Amino acid sequence: MNKSATNRRSFIKKMAMMSAMTAASSMFPGILFANEQEKGIPEDANLDWKKGPCRFCGVGCGILVGTENGKAVAVKGDPNSSVNKGLLCVKGYHQIMCIQSKDRLTHALVKKNGSYVRTPINDALDLVASKMKETITNHGKDSVAMYTSGQSTIPEGYIASKLMKGAIGTNNLDCNARLCMASAVTGFLTSFGADEPMGCYEDIDHADYFVTWGNNMAEMHPVLFSRMLEQKALRGAKIIDFATRTTRSSTASDRSILFEPQTDLAVANAICYEIIKNGWVNRSFVEKHCSFSKGLTDMGYGLEDHYEFTDKPQKIDFEAYKEFLKDYSPELVAKYSKVSVRDIKYLASIYGDPNIKVVSYWCMGMNQHTRGTWINNLVYNIHLLTGKISQPGNGPFSLTGQPSACGTAREVGTFTHKLPHGVVTNQEDREMAARIWKVPVENIPSKPTYHATEMFRAVDRGDIKFIWVQATNPLVSLPKTSRYRPGMEKESCFVVVSDVFPTPTSDVADVILPASWHIEKGGLYGNSERRTQYWDKMVEGPGETTPDAWMFIEVAKRMGYGDLFPYSKENHVEEIFNEYRQFHEGAKHGMAPLEVLKKESGVIWPYVNGKSTQWRFNAKYDPACSNGEDFHFYGKPDGKAVIWQRPFEEAPEKPDQEYPFWLNTGRVIEHWHTGSMTRRIPVLHQAMPNAYVEFHPDDAKTLGIRNGENIKITSRRGSCNLPASINERGLPTKGQIFVPFFDENMLINDVTLDAFCPISKEPDYKKCAVKVEKA
Amino acid sequence: MKKRLGIISLFVIIFIAFIITWNYSYLEGLEEADIPTYDTPTGNFIPAEGGVFKRFNNAGHDFSNMPIDENHQRSLDSYYDNRAYHGAPPSIPHPVAKDRSLGGNTCLQCHQNGGFVEKFNAYAPVTPHPELINCRQCHVAIKTNNTFREFAFTKVQAPEVGVGANNAMPGSPPMIPHQLQMRENCITCHSGPSAPKEIRVSHPERINCRQCHIPISNEKQQMDASTFLRQFNNSYEE
Repeated sequence: MNKSATNRRSFIKKMAMMSAMTAASSMFPGILFANEQEKGIPEDANLDWKKGPCRFCGVGCGILVGTENGKAVAVKGDPNSSVNKGLLCVKGYHQIMCIQSKDRLTHALVKKNGSYVRTPINDALDLVASKMKETITNHGKDSVAMYTSGQSTIPEGYIASKLMKGAIGTNNLDCNARLCMASAVTGFLTSFGADEPMGCYEDIDHADYFVTWGNNMAEMHPVLFSRMLEQKALRGAKIIDFATRTTRSSTASDRSILFEPQTDLAVANAICYEIIKNGWVNRSFVEKHCSFSKGLTDMGYGLEDHYEFTDKPQKIDFEAYKEFLKDYSPELVAKYSKVSVRDIKYLASIYGDPNIKVVSYWCMGMNQHTRGTWINNLVYNIHLLTGKISQPGNGPFSLTGQPSACGTAREVGTFTHKLPHGVVTNQEDREMAARIWKVPVENIPSKPTYHATEMFRAVDRGDIKFIWVQATNPLVSLPKTSRYRPGMEKESCFVVVSDVFPTPTSDVADVILPASWHIEKGGLYGNSERRTQYWDKMVEGPGETTPDAWMFIEVAKRMGYGDLFPYSKENHVEEIFNEYRQFHEGAKHGMAPLEVLKKESGVIWPYVNGKSTQWRFNAKYDPACSNGEDFHFYGKPDGKAVIWQRPFEEAPEKPDQEYPFWLNTGRVIEHWHTGSMTRRIPVLHQAMPNAYVEFHPDDAKTLGIRNGENIKITSRRGSCNLPASINERGLPTKGQIFVPFFDENMLINDVTLDAFCPISKEPDYKKCAVKVEKA
Repeated sequence: MKKRLGIISLFVIIFIAFIITWNYSYLEGLEEADIPTYDTPTGNFIPAEGGVFKRFNNAGHDFSNMPIDENHQRSLDSYYDNRAYHGAPPSIPHPVAKDRSLGGNTCLQCHQNGGFVEKFNAYAPVTPHPELINCRQCHVAIKTNNTFREFAFTKVQAPEVGVGANNAMPGSPPMIPHQLQMRENCITCHSGPSAPKEIRVSHPERINCRQCHIPISNEKQQMDASTFLRQFNNSYEE
C-alpha cells in the first residue's frame, strides 16, 4: 500500500467516522480497506451503518448500509465479513440506488378489463386467496403452483414450503434455483449424499492452484476472484482458466485452456485416465473412503413434455472403472475436445502432484449442462482419486449465482421433491416436517410434481390454473421463452407476481403485489460456503410494499390456515427462523442461533458447540465424523464417497449446415440476472446499456460483420436482434457466439433450448445451434 | 599416459552426462507447459479486458509497493498542461536525445518502468502501452511556444477529480471519467511516484481495478430508461 502522510483534514474526517461507527456499534476498525471509502464521505454526514449481506450474487459479501434520515445513502464493504474483508464489486457498491427508481411497484395492481388498477393491498391479497381457494375447489390441489427464488429469504422460502406442502398439500413448489443450482445439488447428493460444498472460501488462502471450469469469475464472482489475485501476487498461486470463451478471467489467469462445448465430460475423464496411468491415485484414501458406481446412459434430454427419468446406480469395482476410462486417453479426447494432449496432461499433472494444493471452481458452465450432474460427478472423481478434498486449500467448490440459492432453495428446500429436511419421498422426512409444522402427515404428498421447466409447460398445457411467482423473472430467465410467454398469457392460468419492479413477467400478471426490497425488510440469506447471514430492516419501503413472507402468511390466513401461521408482523422473521432451525439440529447441519447470527457477519453451518465447521467430512475439523478415520463421508450409509463412471455424450443440438453456430449465454459484471435491479442503477446502466452478440473476429470477418452492426440470431425456436461485439468484453471460440441474457429488450432466451439434465432437471443455456445474419 | 587420459576422459564424460541429465530433469520439472497446437487464441487477445492485469507480473516493477516522494510529485494541472486537450497524447516536454529514432529503445529506457531522473529532477511517467514502440508517431516534442497563426481552440474541460466528483453515492468507488483505449493498464498512471498526486490510487495492490470502477462517459448522460420503464399511469384509476 502507498504510505502517504495523512493530512489534518482527512484525519479529522476519519476520527468523525470512527466515532460515528462506534455509536452505531456495528463494526470495529478492522481491515483497512473499507476505511479508504470513508475518505469519500462528506464530513458533515451523520450516517448510521447497519450490516447485511449483498443483494446480488451467491458470494454473499457482507455490506454496511449507511442510512441518513431514514434513507439509504451509502454502501461499503463490511470489514468484519471474512467473505469479502471490506471489498465489494461495482454492483454491490451501488445496489441501494435501484430502490429510488421511479417505476418502483409501490401498490398492488389488479388487472381489470385489460388494464391495471391500483388496489389496496388487503383487497389484492383477498383476491389472491379466494382465487387460490376457488381453483383448488374446482380443479384440485395440483392445479395451483408457486414459483419462488434463490433470492427469497430463508423465512420466505420456509413459509412458501409450509403453505404449499404442509397446509394446502401439493408439491407444486419449485424455484428459479432449478435453473442454476440443481445440477450442483444432484452432483453433491450422488457423490457424497450431502448437499453443499465441503470446503469454504478460506481455501483460497491455502491453495497453490485454482482451476476454474467454465467459470468467468472475474465478472461473475469478482470479490472471490480478487482474493485469488491477491494470493497470486502474495504467494505466487496460479490460476488456470478452462473455458469455452476467452474472458476477463482468462486474461488474468496464468494459463487459459479452451475446449469445445460439451467436451468437458471427456476432458474430466481424460484427467482421471492420466491420474491412474501415472500412478497418482491416492490409494489409501480411495480404498478407505471411496466406492465406485455407474448409472444409466443415453437418458435423453427432456425435450418432450412429461419426460421422466430415474437413475439406477449400480456398484462397480476399480478395475471396471479403469477399463471404462480406456476410451478417454488424452490422445483420443484431444481429437474432439480441441484441447491439446499436452494441455490435458498438464491439467492432470496439477491434480496429480501430491505436493500441490488445488481448488476447482465452477458455476453455470458445469451446472447449466444437459449432463450437469455427470460433469459435477466427474470433477469430484478427480478430487477423490487424488484425495484432494475436504482440506484447507484442497477441494472442489461449486459456486452459486443467487444470494440465497443455498440458504433458501437448497437448505429450506423450495423444490418440488424437497422438504426443509430431506425429501418428500422419504417417510421419516415427511413425519418430521408434519411434526414441526403441526399438520397431519398425510397432508404432505409423497410424490414430486413439476420441476421449473415442466411447471411452465404445465401452465402452457393448461394443467396449472393458478401460479404465484415471487422474486424472480421467469419470462426473461427461462429457456425457450418463445413457448412459455404465450403460455403464461393464456386465460387458463391466473398469474400472481410479487416483485419490487415491473418486469416482463409482471406484464402478464393478473395481480401484481408490491414487495419490499431486501433492506426494507429483515431476513436471512445463505451463501455458497454454507454461511447464514442475518440482517435487520434498515429503511421503510414506499407505499404499501410488504415483505414477501408476510404476504404469504396473510394469504394463508385468508385461506383458513391461520392456526399454522401464528406469527406476528413485527417479529415473523425471528419466529419463523427459530421454528425452521429445528429441522437441522445436530452436528451435520446445526445452524447458529439467532443471537449469534445477529452479532456476527454471517456464520458457517454446521455450527456445533459454538463453533463453525469449515471443512466437512474431515475428522480434524468436523465433529460429525464418527468412523475413527481421518475422513468420513457420512452422507452415504457406508461412509464412502462415490466415484462415478459417467461417459461423454453429445449435446442434444449441435451446429449443422443450417444452424452453424453454437450459442452460449451468460452474464456481464455490471448486470445481475435479468437486470430488473441493476438496469435501474444509473451507474451500471450507463456502463452496459444493452446486450450484444460476441463473435470471434475470424467469424465476423467471414460474415462481413462489423462492430455494432445489428445482427439477427435465429434458432429452431425463435430469433433475437442484437448489436455485434467484436474483440470487446469477451472472445468466443470460432464457431461460437455469446450473448448476455440480462436485457429484457433483447430476449435471447426466445432462442435458447429447453433441454435439461435428466437427473437434475436443470436446463442447458450454454449450448444450442443458431444461424446469424445481418438484420 | 593413455591410461591417465582415459580416466580423465571417463570423468569428463560422466561430468557432462551429469550436467545433461541434471538440465534435462530441471527443464522437465519446470511447470511451464506448452503452447496448444490449436490455432484458437488463448490469453491476452482482448486488449480492453486484459490490459488491466498486464503489468502486475512485471519483474522489477512492484506496483503494490511504490515509494511516494512528496517533494517530486506531479500534479494533475501539469499533467493536463502537457496535453492539447483531454484525452490527447501528451507531448514530450524535454529535449530528445536521438531525433531520428522511433523512440522505442530510447523512450522506454525511462518510460517503461519509470524512475527518478536526476537531470529533470522528476520521476519519469510510466507508459500504459510499452508494447507500442513507435512512440513518436503520437508523441511529439515542443520546440516553440508560438503558434503559426492566431489560434482559438478551447480545450475540452477535463473531468473533475476528488471526493464526490465521479462517484454516484457518498463513499462509493469513483467511475472512470476518461476513455480506456490505450489506457487499459490503470496502474501505470494511477500509482507510483510519477502518478499525479490527485489521481494516485491508495490501493494499487487490488489489481482487478474494474471490479469496482467502471467507465462513465464524459458528459454525464442522463439514463435513458424509456426503453424498459413500464408505464402504468395511463391506466391508473386513482
